[in-house]
This record gives sequence, C-alpha cells and structure tokens, in this order.
Amino acid sequence: MNDKLKEFLENLKLFFQGASDFNRKSKAILEKEAHDQMDNFILLCFADMLGLPLPTSYYALEILPYIADDLEYWQRRMLDRKSIWGEKWGDWDLDA
Amino acid sequence: MNKIVFFGGKGGVGKTTCSSSFALSCANKGMKTLLVSTDPAHSISDIFETKIGYKIVNIRENLEALEINSEIECKNYMNRVKANLKNVVSPIIVKEIKKQIDAAAISPGTEEAALFDKMIEIIIDKSEEYDKIIFDTAPTGHTVRLMSLPELLGAWLNSLISKRKKALELMQMAQNAGKKNKDEIENDAVIKILKKRYNNMQKARNIITNNDKLSFVFVLNAEKLPIEETKKAVNILDKYKIKVDSLIVNRILPDDIKDEFWINKKELEKKYIDEIYETFKGKKIIKIPMLKHDMGANNIKELIGYFEDESRLL
Repeated sequence: MNDKLKEFLENLKLFFQGASDFNRKSKAILEKEAHDQMDNFILLCFADMLGLPLPTSYYALEILPYIADDLEYWQRRMLDRKSIWGEKWGDWDLDA
Repeated sequence: MNKIVFFGGKGGVGKTTCSSSFALSCANKGMKTLLVSTDPAHSISDIFETKIGYKIVNIRENLEALEINSEIECKNYMNRVKANLKNVVSPIIVKEIKKQIDAAAISPGTEEAALFDKMIEIIIDKSEEYDKIIFDTAPTGHTVRLMSLPELLGAWLNSLISKRKKALELMQMAQNAGKKNKDEIENDAVIKILKKRYNNMQKARNIITNNDKLSFVFVLNAEKLPIEETKKAVNILDKYKIKVDSLIVNRILPDDIKDEFWINKKELEKKYIDEIYETFKGKKIIKIPMLKHDMGANNIKELIGYFEDESRLL
C-alpha cells in the first residue's frame, strides 16, 4: 500500500514538473553554464592557440591529452563568441 | 647548517669558481655534496676538467656533479605528455596534438621552464640523499625568476583548479538534478595533474623560503656594475622573503702593487669595498683574492681555505 502511494506521489510530482516545464529548462541552463565554464577553463590553459600569448603554455601541455578531443570544437566556439550580450540575452530567451 | 646553497651573481664575476671551491671544501669535510650547474654555458666541467653531463657523476671523493641540460629535460617532459595521448580517441587528433607539442619545444620560455622543473625536482627529491646541494646558477635575472616561480605558478594553478572544479560541479548538478558528487570530481584526471604540480610547487616554496634550509650567496667584484646589480637582486629576493646572507667579493687585487696604473685601481677598489661593507651591513662578507693563474682542476684546492670557517657560509 505504501509503495503504491509513493509511486502515485512520484507520478504526481513528475506531472506537475512536466506541466510547468519545471526542472527541465533549468537543466538546460545549468548545462549551458557548465559548458561555458569549462570553455573558460580551457581558455585559461590554451589561449595561445587563439593568438593570446601565455607564459604558462609549457605547463598546460600536460593537460592537453585530456582536452584534446574537444579542442577543435572549442576553438570554433571561441571564435563564435563575438557578441556577449546577444548570447546572454539569447540564453534567457530575451532577445526579441 | 643550510643544506641547499645557491650561488648567484652577475656574469663573469667568478660564480663558478666560488661555487666549485665551496663544493670541494664541503666534500673535503666529509659532507656528501652535489654540485649542480644550471648555467647553459656550463663551466663546472671546464673547471674540474672532467666530463659532466645531465646525469649525476662522481668527480671527487664525496663530490658529485650534474649539468642540467634543458633540451633533454624538455624532451623527456614532452615524451611523458605524448605517452598520455593514449587517452585520446581519434588517431588524427593524436597526430595533430603531437605536432603541437613539438612546436611548443621552440616556443620562448620552454627551455627555461624545463630547467626550473629540473631544479625543483632536485630540491625536492635529492635533499634527503645529500648533506649539501650547491647550485651554480646563471646570471642574476634568471635566478630571481626561479625563486619567484613557485609562488606565481602556485597562484595560477590554484585558480585553474577551482575553475575546473566549478565547471565539473555545474555539469554534475545539471545531470543529477542538483546533486554533487565530490569523489568523482577529485578523480578527474586534469585536477589530479594540476594538484600534483601544485603540491610540488608548494614543497619547493617551503624549502626555498625557509632560511634554515636554503642559503643564497651572491658573488660580486669590487666594481660599480656588479655592486649595483647585487643591490637590485638582494631587494627583489627580499620581496620573495629570500634572504641573501653572504656575499663573496671576488678578484681582490693584491696588496703589493708597485705600478701606478694598478695603484689607482687598488684605490678605486678600496672605495668600492667600503661601499660594499656599508650597503650590505649585517651580511657576511668574504673576500677572495685574484689569483696569479687560471683556475683549473689542479689548483682549485687553493681557494678552499677561504671557506674553511664553516660558519661564514651558513
């Protein structure tokens, strides 16, 4: 009996979450923020690939193998970062 | 008794001669001594007239020596990085990355960074094995940069680690509906690498700024430019909390000069020596005479006497 009640309440919760789009949009926002932060991290290590000379590039080399897969796409994303405001407003669906 | 002694000073003042004789004097007293040259123009093999390379060799009783070869250290580092490329999935990317790593070898600052890494490795790893480790360093600016490296690099690494942690946390929160998993974050390969380097920098920093473990000796001549450079260097090192406690004034002219030209020189020298005693009050000052002949393997023992009073070079 307890189990059925729990299951019902869980379904009720999911119904309301789905109906109000709760927790799903925020997941997307969190993911976007997470990817942005990771991109910033890679920027601190490998900005010299984009033409910004870094005195620490020697030490960044040992991290290279673990970032290598994503590097090409990262470079493209960096080059796409032209308009900061346009992007930020866009995140929140505020650009008309 | 300070275990690690750095010999610094302007080019040409006689650093290598002093550090080599000092190393020999320590070895003669029964201390297991390691003499390390960091100067790319390695001169200690010239002085001892024996081949010294990037691997530690024994050159006298109780005395071993090493000439750091930054090119080889750099290659070793790059090979270690390349070995980790087995984590990468695509062979095309592996090829690209290898090209990038090789290109980094000729980038400015790379050889110096490799040299510093080796110096730090010696400071951390070898201090248990030897009673005394003596570094014959390259001219001043280079040495000062080395001393500030652990602090600067430490700050950069710290900020990298926290940025990476934050990004990973956000990723976790997005995927696990707000929950974080600390263990997973600590096991991230990149964070492990950054932390390892950070810990090494901290160990090195603790040793370098500990006045009981590390001494700095500056070699200079009784001339205007070496004095000025020494003043500047002492101030900069002071900012990094590294005390220069001894100075060696090298190439003092002999007293029994008859020639007018040299008598003038001797008077000038006296003026500079007074200035040295005045400017560097509180530091131990050792005077070493200019020798009649070149320093070489057979007469390097001549200078040992000046370091005999061990308390002078603590």
